[in-house]
Amino acid sequence: MRMRRTNKLLIEPPASATGDIAFNLIVFFLVCASVQPDAGRKQTIPSSETVQDQKQEETNVEVLLTRDTVALDGDFVAMGQFLPRLQAKLAGKTSPDDRVVVFKEKPDTPYSRYINVMRLIDEAGGVIVFQIEEEREVMIP
Amino acid sequence: MAMGDIAFNLLIFFVILARSQDDSHLQWQPATSVELESAGHSKASVLVDNDGKTYLNGQPTSIGQLESLIDGILGDAPYGDRTVLLKIHADTVAQQYEAIFEAVSKAGGELVHVVDEEKP
Repeated sequence: MRMRRTNKLLIEPPASATGDIAFNLIVFFLVCASVQPDAGRKQTIPSSETVQDQKQEETNVEVLLTRDTVALDGDFVAMGQFLPRLQAKLAGKTSPDDRVVVFKEKPDTPYSRYINVMRLIDEAGGVIVFQIEEEREVMIP
Repeated sequence: MAMGDIAFNLLIFFVILARSQDDSHLQWQPATSVELESAGHSKASVLVDNDGKTYLNGQPTSIGQLESLIDGILGDAPYGDRTVLLKIHADTVAQQYEAIFEAVSKAGGELVHVVDEEKP
């Protein structure tokens, strides 16, 4: 006698649930796709202080960034030459105090340019210190 | 079976609700760079959109209020748990983003610039 093999553990879901399952799957993948981990560059900004003495700045490398140009210790350099020139200036300096790069920029400098130069200073091993000009209103009697 | 569906939909609903303070709906063009690292967990996110408007955790704010608001969010969190993500539109000018850096720095936040990986 031939026995018919049946598997009672395998139950087909009702066809009416197909729409629900598809909807849930769509929502699940939408949520997964919208949660993307952010990636970026860390930056440590030293606490601000008002510097009266200009002597310290003279010994450090100074970078001035504008919308179109970048200057290293007052000399304008091409973007392609910035990294080797900075590396040459920092060569032989081992302590973080000696590797300080005083960074100044013009108010119209775009952020994309700032990020690019920051990366190059990081790559050269410079320790970035911002120099921001403070504005004060003075009442003239 | 329907109970499972209902539970799942509720779960999704609360996940989306929890993300309502997210800034993923805002439009901005990130700058590009190389050798990026994972930003990790952050308590606050400052975003400057295409129109130059500033947002903190998806809510519009002014730069003048930023320091106190970030200070309130970070509270007494220890170093390493004070990450503030900076999502700044690539064309934003220094006058604006320097003020943001200063506010985050004064509030004791650790800056992470969120940028896109540069393609060769």
